Amino acid sequence: MSDLALKPPAASRRVIPHTVSPGLWTLAWRRLKTDSVAMVSMAIVIAFVVLMILSGLGLVARDWAREVGVNYAPPPFVGAPELPGTPGVENKVDAPAVPSAPTPGSAFESTVVDPIGDVISELRAESGRGGKGAPGATAASPGAPAAPSTEGGFVDPLADVMKEIEAQKSAAAAPSTTVDPLADVMKDIQAGKGAGPAADQRRATLPFGADKWGRDVIAKTIKGSETSIFVGLAAAIVATFIGTVLGALAGYYGRWVDDALNWFYSVFSSIPYLLLILAVAAVLQHKGTLTIVLILGLTGWTGVFRLIRAEYLKHKGREYVQAADAIGASNARRMFRHIFPNVSHVVLVQLSILVVAFIKSEVILSYLGFGVPVDVVSWGSMLNEAQNELLLGKWWQLVAAGGTMAVLVTAFSLFTDALRDALDPRLKGTAGH
Amino acid sequence: MEATTNTSDPLISVRDLSVSFRLDRRTTFEAVTSVSFDVPRNATVALVGESGSGKSVTALALLGLLPRENSIVDAKSRIMFGGRNLAQLSFREMQDVRGAEISMIFQEPMTSLNPVFTVGFQIEEALRLHMGITGAKARRRAIEVLAEVGIPEPDRRIDMYPSQMSGGQQQRVMIAMAIACEPKLLIADEPTTALDVTIQKQILDLISALQKRRQMSVLFITHDLAVVGEIADQVIVMRNGEIREQGPAKQIFEQPQDTYTRALLQCRPQLDRRPQRLPVIEDFMGSGDGPGDIPDRVRGVSAGDAIVLRVRDLGKSFYSREGLFGRREFKAVRNVSFDLPKGKTLGLVGESGSGKTTVGLTLMRLHEATTGEALFEGRDILGMSAKEFLQYKRRIQIIFQNPYASLNPRFIVGQILTEPMEIHGIGSSAQERTELAFELLAKVGLPEVSFYKYPHEFSGGQRQRIAIARCLTLKPDILICDESVSALDVSVQAQVLNLLGDLQAEFGLSYIFISHDLAVVKYISDQIMVMNDGAIVEIGNSDDVYRNPREEYTQRLLASIPKGWQGSRATA
Amino acid sequence: MWAYIVRRLWQMLPTLLGVVLLVFVLFNLFGGDPAYVLAGKISNPEQIDNIRRQLGVDQPYYVQLGIFLKQIVTADFGASWSTNEQVSQILVTRLPPSLTVLVPLLFLETFIAIGLALAVAYVRGSLTDRAVMMVCTVGLSISILVYIIVFQYVFAYKLGWFPVQGWGNSLWENLTRYALLPIIIALVVSIAPNLRLFRTFVLDEINQDYVRTARAKGVGENRIMWVHVLRNASIPIITHVMSALPSLLIGAFLLERFFSIPGIGREVILAVERSDFPVIKALTVYVAIATMVVNLLADLMYKAVDPRVQLK
Repeated sequence: MSDLALKPPAASRRVIPHTVSPGLWTLAWRRLKTDSVAMVSMAIVIAFVVLMILSGLGLVARDWAREVGVNYAPPPFVGAPELPGTPGVENKVDAPAVPSAPTPGSAFESTVVDPIGDVISELRAESGRGGKGAPGATAASPGAPAAPSTEGGFVDPLADVMKEIEAQKSAAAAPSTTVDPLADVMKDIQAGKGAGPAADQRRATLPFGADKWGRDVIAKTIKGSETSIFVGLAAAIVATFIGTVLGALAGYYGRWVDDALNWFYSVFSSIPYLLLILAVAAVLQHKGTLTIVLILGLTGWTGVFRLIRAEYLKHKGREYVQAADAIGASNARRMFRHIFPNVSHVVLVQLSILVVAFIKSEVILSYLGFGVPVDVVSWGSMLNEAQNELLLGKWWQLVAAGGTMAVLVTAFSLFTDALRDALDPRLKGTAGH
Repeated sequence: MEATTNTSDPLISVRDLSVSFRLDRRTTFEAVTSVSFDVPRNATVALVGESGSGKSVTALALLGLLPRENSIVDAKSRIMFGGRNLAQLSFREMQDVRGAEISMIFQEPMTSLNPVFTVGFQIEEALRLHMGITGAKARRRAIEVLAEVGIPEPDRRIDMYPSQMSGGQQQRVMIAMAIACEPKLLIADEPTTALDVTIQKQILDLISALQKRRQMSVLFITHDLAVVGEIADQVIVMRNGEIREQGPAKQIFEQPQDTYTRALLQCRPQLDRRPQRLPVIEDFMGSGDGPGDIPDRVRGVSAGDAIVLRVRDLGKSFYSREGLFGRREFKAVRNVSFDLPKGKTLGLVGESGSGKTTVGLTLMRLHEATTGEALFEGRDILGMSAKEFLQYKRRIQIIFQNPYASLNPRFIVGQILTEPMEIHGIGSSAQERTELAFELLAKVGLPEVSFYKYPHEFSGGQRQRIAIARCLTLKPDILICDESVSALDVSVQAQVLNLLGDLQAEFGLSYIFISHDLAVVKYISDQIMVMNDGAIVEIGNSDDVYRNPREEYTQRLLASIPKGWQGSRATA
Repeated sequence: MWAYIVRRLWQMLPTLLGVVLLVFVLFNLFGGDPAYVLAGKISNPEQIDNIRRQLGVDQPYYVQLGIFLKQIVTADFGASWSTNEQVSQILVTRLPPSLTVLVPLLFLETFIAIGLALAVAYVRGSLTDRAVMMVCTVGLSISILVYIIVFQYVFAYKLGWFPVQGWGNSLWENLTRYALLPIIIALVVSIAPNLRLFRTFVLDEINQDYVRTARAKGVGENRIMWVHVLRNASIPIITHVMSALPSLLIGAFLLERFFSIPGIGREVILAVERSDFPVIKALTVYVAIATMVVNLLADLMYKAVDPRVQLK
């Protein structure tokens, strides 16, 4: 109720015994509290967000890139590892975050290019150039996390976005110290023979197994959650903001403002969303978490725009807005003080729908290698690795990434439905798209 | 079924009907409590009540049309029809009763017809279902029925879609569909409420004629006693889910026993009287003997009255796009000129589409006027810039029709009342404005704690009081009431009309009172302006216009007003 | 009717111009010099020079825009930067495989989803309804990648019921052999969201007054659902299906990639991977045109379903 900014009448000479009635949000919260499904799903969502923050602050899963187990260390309930490589084998350097096993696609048809092949060859080319410029990169200490605090003046020749230099640096760091990132799994293990931490430091099993470099899948999943949730949330906020502001302007002012913004909308919406994202991704060669947030956010606002525009159009004609006009309220006041609180629940529900949509998009983009940088782990890049691992019978990374994502997205969707019902009880049971 | 020839044997006999609704897991709400009544054969029974009285729920329960998800018909309820208890029939068995033996028409003909099928399809569907008539034979029969309900050119209109017809014709189609299979009982749920008064008259006449010709019974549900005065044989008055009184129409209208019935009869403004204030329900419910005789008020304007607003040649056109570059002009208001005297009321009547509301909105500059001027204190408020107009804006205020839509649902009443003062710098501090808001709440008859509540916590009448209080915060000279009491129940309507009268006396306000309800306009107005098709038909002192309408249109309009109980029929 | 179509086509021009501008800004302004983009991809300097000349890179932007417009109108986008295949040739040859998967998919998913939606809406609020909705929510939450990876692994790789991937030459062979598993996976993935959406459409209609009227005249529940409600609900369903059509063309790219189906979607990914700008530009513009045409078709279809629609 504080947002209503009402002067407390306590200052008044007459004090009237009163309680301010509960507003929309209080009532919605009360309804939400009685909904057990909503509360459970909300708890799960909050847990994920807390995990994301902790992981972002480096309090958990900071050492996700350390090879704590043997390669493909299975979960204990599966049994001891029986890998061709001798136990205790590990890489002498940081694991490349990019898997290099051929995808089924490239195995069967030669014209199919390994989706990450280009990325890797690019990186290889970069590392060749970058290695010279940045000797520090090659000096990364063995066993250090894959996001090393590499000093040095490595500048990606393709980079023109300064804030992404960091990402580029670390991206280049991994392959630059690897002999050949394109080597298949077995080669990788072979290459790994040699120096490094003592063999007995690497465990034969891990709670939920390890990936092909022996990194803990649980830590990786947590780190991946951080990336995916951050991208989903941040991109949804960007897209909702753009869609709401433009939608409000178009719906409220109508006439040429509406015509212009509608034109803008129809331009964006006549290009299929995925194609637009891919086109932008193709142009922006430099990958970074922020880039992917911007790509998703700048292309994904159209749905919000359409809905908010329709809402403003509807509310503009409502009598309470005409009454506000009659008492002399300005346009800005009518738009934000009067109408906005009446459509804010739509905005909130849209935001929450977009978070889910963007998490899914991010996973697909990262899987294809158009998403987050190669040194940043996300559910998408984990699924990319898991696809090849499955062929070897190593299912745990697939289950970890796919399962965690399913749990979060289910919880988020159920929460969105409950939120919609709680905010607009008339719609109960008709929850849809 | 075994039909008896005994005329004292009722067609349908309802006993102990109780219906409740599940609101959520724990709470249920009883909408109808132990209701018992009969509908005799070949008669019209009116079921009268205000909103929330349970009249529509009762009607839907007869046909088993209550929503299955959340409604519970009490197991003790009996709806005896043709020797069967309809309340006990299975859903499948009820299908054969519905449309064939009992059929129903609804308030909104527009939404009640399926928009994507032709009217012929929808009538033939009923014929096929219940009478097994198909093909060309069904079509012929459908055309016959359409002709019977007074649709012109039925053989052409049978292929039309509902959206291609007017509201009155749609309701005729609904009736045609309902009577196609020759039911014994027609339930009409507020069939004329959504229609203009002249159309209402036609539909009432049609239902009455069909009832006699077909020897069927009609259960007529309405909130307006006046509507059924001319057609009902029996009247049942309901309130809060219970029957207050039932009996022959003569008895109900001439010697009502129940206090509520008496209140209902008197709350509504009469055409031939204009008491100082209208009786309200509390006058009856408390002591039980009513307010006694209230002296009449004289209304009218004289040449010496000071004029507060002078409107000349007002016009408003809307444009729709047509073709590539063309646009079509629609003149909503044409050449409207009038003078509004200070402290008096100008009533603006007309049917839907007559442009009466547009006049109000244009004067408020909620629409920009196309032509004309409106002189307020010698300045043309339509011609001045928006900035200049701002200081005049507060002097002319408006109260809308729908009290549910005209208050921002996200504001507490306190904010609703203090916001206008804030904008116009009335009151030097927030505290002073709060004090003023409290005073105004008291003035419109609301408790001070209302200040902290949201609009949805109030009833329709209370919300209209809040809307009035909001206007008063700006100390206006002119108040435009756009159908301000039309959405209210009769008893509440009387209260709000009384409040408006009191405020006019106290503050010397001038009203422009826009309504389709001729009785209400007659009650409150000094002057009446009749509009049709965007133009003025007739303007004059209200008593003169009602007594001696000069124009043919006005005469037709006045003739359509439901007359209520006609003593002459009582002897029949 | 024809006047309407002509006017609608006329009204598409500003939008189309916007799309062209967007693509132009994206690729010519932000995309930068092809020499720069192609560094490390094409080593032949002569070829790069050729490309630069074609695009008029050194000329002012309006000249470049003119070149681009000419390319669109003449449908001649030159050759792919990586394979040297004519772009028009790429589009023409990639479309049939995509359609082979999409057409059966579109019909199956629409009809299955409509049937299920009517059934679920009929028992709205019941345990069945809630259970189905819950399954949909959970099913929707699993990434499409997981479905593809697992289905391909289990049904093709392990069980051998379907070919792991590939594409043949005859339509019949493709339809009965190679397209089967992709279609099944796409159905599993797409029915859940469509079912949820169509169910809301149906529920919106069930609560309308005309349904009460139909009941009041004794129409049976089945007929109400299949005749009265479905006809009305088909209006938003058509909008949705039609508007989803172009995205479906692109959206199937994951399937095309996993199963090595030489369709449009896979071509998009390949082009993005190779920074093959001419292919992306051509695809974007033409798919946008297709989207607009499909929208027009959708509006014409309304007219057939909804008599209230006036084509003006």
